[in-house]
Amino acid sequence: MEMSPIPKTAPFADEEIDLLNRVVGTATPVQRAWLAGFLAGLDASGGTPALHPAAPARPAEPLTIVYASESGNSEKLAGDIAKAARKNGLKPTVIDMADLELTVLTSARKLIFIAATWGEGDPPARAVRAYNELMGEGAPRLDGVEFGVLALGDTAYAEFCLVGKKIDERLAALGGKRVVDRVDLDLDFAEPAARWIGDAVKVLTPPNAGGRVIEVDFGGKPSAPASTDIVEAEITEHVDLNSSRSDKETIHLALSFENGAPAYEPGDSLDLYPENDPAYVDELLRLAGLAGDEKLRADFIKTRDVTTLSLKTVETYAGKTGHHYVKALIADGQAREWIAGRQLIDLIATFPIALDAETLRALTRPLAPRAYSIASSRREVSDEAHLLISAVRYESHGRERKGIASNYVAERLRKGGRVRVKLKPNKHFALPAPDRDVIMVGPGTGVAPFRAFVQERRAVEASGRSWLFFGDRTFTHDFLYQLDWQEALKDGALTRMDVAFSRDTPEKIYVQHKLWDRRAELIEWLDGGAYFYVCGDAKAMAKDVRAALVRAYADVKSVTPEVAEQAVVTLEREKRYLQDTY
Amino acid sequence: MTDEVSRNERIKEASDYLRGTLEQGLREEITGAIIEDDAQLVKFHGMYLQDDRDLRPERTRKKMEKAFAFMIRVRIPGGVLTPRQWLMLDKVARDYGNGTMRLTTRQTVQLHGVIKSNLKATLKAIDTVLLNSIAACGDINRNVMCNVLPEQSRAHAAAIALARSISDDLLPHTPAYREIWLDGERIAGGEGEVVEPIYGKTYLPRKFKVVVAVPPSNDVDIFAHDLGYIAITDDAGKIAGWNVIVGGGMGMTHGEPDTYPRIAEVMGFCRTEDVLKVSEAVVTVQRDWGDRRNRKHARLKYTIEDRGLEVFRAEVEKRSGVRLAPAKPYTFTSTGDRYGWTEGLNGRGHLTLFVQNGRVQDLPDAAQQSALRTIAQMHDGDFRITPNQNLIIANVPTEKQAAIERIAREAGLLAPWSGLRRNSMACVALPTCGLALAESERYLPELLDALDRKLAAHGLSADDIVIRMTGCPNGCARPYLAEIGLVGKGPGRYNLYLGAAFDGSRMNKLYAEDLDHAGIVEALDPLFAAYARERQKGERFGDFVIRAGHVVASGNGADFHANVRLYEPI
Ligand code: SRM
Ligand SMILES: Cc1cc2nc3c(=O)[nH]c(=O)nc-3n(C[C@H](O)[C@H](O)[C@H](O)COP(=O)(O)OP(=O)(O)OC[C@H]3O[C@@H](n4cnc5c(N)ncnc54)[C@H](O)[C@@H]3O)c2cc1C
Ligand SMILES: Cc1cc2nc3c(=O)[nH]c(=O)nc-3n(C[C@H](O)[C@H](O)[C@H](O)COP(=O)(O)O)c2cc1C
Ligand code: SF4
Repeated sequence: MEMSPIPKTAPFADEEIDLLNRVVGTATPVQRAWLAGFLAGLDASGGTPALHPAAPARPAEPLTIVYASESGNSEKLAGDIAKAARKNGLKPTVIDMADLELTVLTSARKLIFIAATWGEGDPPARAVRAYNELMGEGAPRLDGVEFGVLALGDTAYAEFCLVGKKIDERLAALGGKRVVDRVDLDLDFAEPAARWIGDAVKVLTPPNAGGRVIEVDFGGKPSAPASTDIVEAEITEHVDLNSSRSDKETIHLALSFENGAPAYEPGDSLDLYPENDPAYVDELLRLAGLAGDEKLRADFIKTRDVTTLSLKTVETYAGKTGHHYVKALIADGQAREWIAGRQLIDLIATFPIALDAETLRALTRPLAPRAYSIASSRREVSDEAHLLISAVRYESHGRERKGIASNYVAERLRKGGRVRVKLKPNKHFALPAPDRDVIMVGPGTGVAPFRAFVQERRAVEASGRSWLFFGDRTFTHDFLYQLDWQEALKDGALTRMDVAFSRDTPEKIYVQHKLWDRRAELIEWLDGGAYFYVCGDAKAMAKDVRAALVRAYADVKSVTPEVAEQAVVTLEREKRYLQDTY
Repeated sequence: MTDEVSRNERIKEASDYLRGTLEQGLREEITGAIIEDDAQLVKFHGMYLQDDRDLRPERTRKKMEKAFAFMIRVRIPGGVLTPRQWLMLDKVARDYGNGTMRLTTRQTVQLHGVIKSNLKATLKAIDTVLLNSIAACGDINRNVMCNVLPEQSRAHAAAIALARSISDDLLPHTPAYREIWLDGERIAGGEGEVVEPIYGKTYLPRKFKVVVAVPPSNDVDIFAHDLGYIAITDDAGKIAGWNVIVGGGMGMTHGEPDTYPRIAEVMGFCRTEDVLKVSEAVVTVQRDWGDRRNRKHARLKYTIEDRGLEVFRAEVEKRSGVRLAPAKPYTFTSTGDRYGWTEGLNGRGHLTLFVQNGRVQDLPDAAQQSALRTIAQMHDGDFRITPNQNLIIANVPTEKQAAIERIAREAGLLAPWSGLRRNSMACVALPTCGLALAESERYLPELLDALDRKLAAHGLSADDIVIRMTGCPNGCARPYLAEIGLVGKGPGRYNLYLGAAFDGSRMNKLYAEDLDHAGIVEALDPLFAAYARERQKGERFGDFVIRAGHVVASGNGADFHANVRLYEPI
């Protein structure tokens, strides 16, 4: 219906009044609320857009957004949701699960969780505490709280999106009201996530937003985040740091960028865009009866994930091919067990059937980049970035397997070649003030970010002490960056270093044993405010290191394991116990 | 020549009786090396800091320091081990070393590739079977050698007893070894207390080597050593006393004629009860008279060359209070080992095994190390390392002989090698030896294959011919006492020496320089042919090449470099 809210008496020319009526008259409540906020903000800022719009006439609906993130994907989506929510007249508060106090949830009326799954179905390291509280006895009731959950994961893992699933169940069990259904998203989550966010925000926005003022963001945000576009780099150094006698291969990769390296900080990673092993793709196409399709071949080598075998893949295979045995496999509920340690190629080899290009494509997903901790500081290498990449090779079900990205780097990239990368900032694994002490635990490739730390602390002449724990197989053949560490100890960039080599002695020695041996000084450093960093293997190492630290506390302070555990939890809450594990 | 004492002298002086800063160096985890000066001191504890030379080219590129590791040389007087001791050495070699054991030309066992962080564990382990590496290297008396298998086993008992008493008597007294490696209590020397009554603060100017021989076997190569005792038996076969010999040594430097190998001279005869007095006197005279300014001129052999044997004997008699009688006659027949079984006392037998170049290992086609482990587990006699890098399973009771022989045979330790290979030795050289100029241990087997084919063609396969190779002129495999001596000059290049006496009493002479593999074979083949054709009854290859005029017989000392007529390859 046509109405003219602007009275003829308004201080405007007639044609202006008509124009205004045409806009305001047809405006939705939300649009009006927005205009109100806009004008108020415009005024308050004396003509130029203000950072802080006028206080709303009636408080906007609060929306609590909690994310559990390790490598930043969930965190970014949380930001997107907040933006969309604000547009719709909601008042979002974004909380990193690392800082979540459960009481906050009880007072929340609308709640969105975005949770990634890590390790083998574990929560992201820094979310562990709050996650356990949420799952534990003491968790508060959430009667009436409206919620929705977005789960991030990777179908390559058996426990796909487990953490998101668990949180979703738990919120309901605690009395929460599921108003948006959960989605479980794979590595190619961008579009589906955007869609889910749109729907969720709609659902969570109260039907009548009337009479409210929407906070208008005049875009005066602080410094914009470092550019994270895909850039091409030239490989200026490509060396296997393991000795020719080692059974490991760890590549030191130096990248240089024409227009300057991405603005990375110590602790950040680079996403590296790999290509598949042509030989592997050829075999896959041969088995699928698609050998000779050059277009498909080129496309598969560059853009498709040709190894991952998930339940989803098996189901699609059964669906599209109608293969009896595969159907049976699913029917008998054996599929899950069967795919363990297997790849797409095993499926096609074991249950052969001619496939057309489209079916084969449907069985794959986009080839995802792999993250690698940056092992250098721009303050020392300026336009370069260094990576430390361990070639993943193993045997399973009678086949030699090769990790895609690591072997792309180890076997097919060479000095002078080029590679595409993208900055993956990680502000949760950054250095403290230069005067603080740091303890770094980084066995294997876990030592990469600490080379960046040490270079950085040298460049800024940090006054704080730094202590590195490194470990690998053998002293003689696997001591990564040995000369660099020796130099750092000489020039003081590194105060102290302890090493653990597991295969030099009959009984294996790991970094956690060294932490235990040095427990007295270790606790002394931590009491003095030192930061404790752990990087590398998530499956065993990170857990063993934490356990060792708890035992160290208990022993040095002669307190109960419970008290010691609390001491470490406190470190985590104070963000002095930081992890970047994979 | 300056009057400055050599750097090593200052290091010893400042070391507080061989302690230096070793403990501090061991605590530094991020380097496999120790503090520079300590590298000289650690030798006195029986260890050498080495690095794997095969890996040198790649290390810096890989951002790694040299592949440092230690060689540990165990002290084993006379080379006699119990099976339990053998098993322990075999275990530490696999747990901490490069997996192999190396039987040496001085009857010891060397472990290679022990990294710094494993040194203490290794030495503690061998300590549990009463073995150590004290003074196995360094400017001090080394392992005392002893003839392994005399025809008269009764004489061997006396000889080994003598070797052990000399070894004990000349041990350093400093407690440094126990403190540093076995975490023993630091024993502070009381005021003015004499820590080293024989050696003093700076020990000897250079290494010092003692041997005991029982004729007719000269397997210990007695003339290559600083001090030696030759058993003189009476008609009843009992030991009457010992001829004392002094001033032998092999080492020299290419292109420096004032360095040369030297045959020890017989100084006189003494009774068993005087041996320690004489030994101590010889050591202290060398301690005071030896050249401490130039390490290339510091061995006893040069002291005696410079002062003359008479003057030296007089001083030794003065200090020891022992009047040396004129030397008694003796005859040596050979320097080699006698393979297979030999009869021992009360029905027990001794089995001599051939271990190529002393490297005890499991070869692809012959698990020798494992075989010896099995033997050690069932054996209750002893193991004896021969001066030719071989091994004897000694004192095997009749009932066990068949079983032990079977195991040894299956592992190729009793293979029917040619007379040349049976009398061959090669020093360690590459990749561990820091002084090697050319390959030795890793190359000799291949050269022998080629030479064996030539010898077979001339029907000489069964003839005993002594051949020895070293990777540099230091002479670790006593190449100058071999009928055929090959000494490394540079990568793939060797000097060829000919004409030493089969019984070890005469050195050889340079015959050709800088030969490569083909050159060596070409140089020797016609000589083998001539030997097969023209030799007189029982004539040795070393004597033949002299009689036939291919080389001039070497006299002693500096004469080694004289009258060299180089053969021209055609
Ligand atoms: C293992 C052994 C050779 C073998 O294949 O068995 C050996 C190996 C080495 N000898 Fe030797 N020598 C060995 C018997 C000898 C002999 C033979 C003998 O004594 O009957 C000699 C010649 C006799 C003599 O002393 O004159 C010998 C004369 C040398 C020399 C030269 C000494 C000299 O005064 O001219 C050196 C270099 C040096 O001392 O400066 C040397 C130095 C070395 C070193 C430690 C190299 C070094 O100094 O860095 C070698 C270690 C190599 C390795 O990686 O294991 N080695 N060395 C022998 C160990 C004997 C033992 O168990 O104690
Ligand atoms: C934040 C972050 C930082 C990282 N930093 C580094 C770094 O600095 N250096 C580095 O080398 N890596 C690092 N990684 C790991 C890296 O991203 C890749 O995961 C790794 O290189 C393997 O990738 P790929 O493509 O070679 O192997 P893929 O093709 O992805 O194959 C890996 C998969 O193979 C399977 N697999 C692997 N080993 C076995 C086995 N033994 N038995 C059975 N299955 C097995 C597992 O399913 C595994 O997920 C980091 C990861 C993250 C998330
Ligand atoms: C080392 C590692 C382990 C992972 N484990 C799982 C898993 O067990 N289950 C799963 O669904 N996804 C798993 N993922 C995939 C992540 O959940 C996925 O990358 C997600 O996008 C990360 O989100 P974040 O950046 O917010 O942490 C894993 C990823 C990595 C690198
Ligand atoms: S002779 Fe030379 S190369 Fe051979 S071990 Fe002795 S020092 Fe080394």
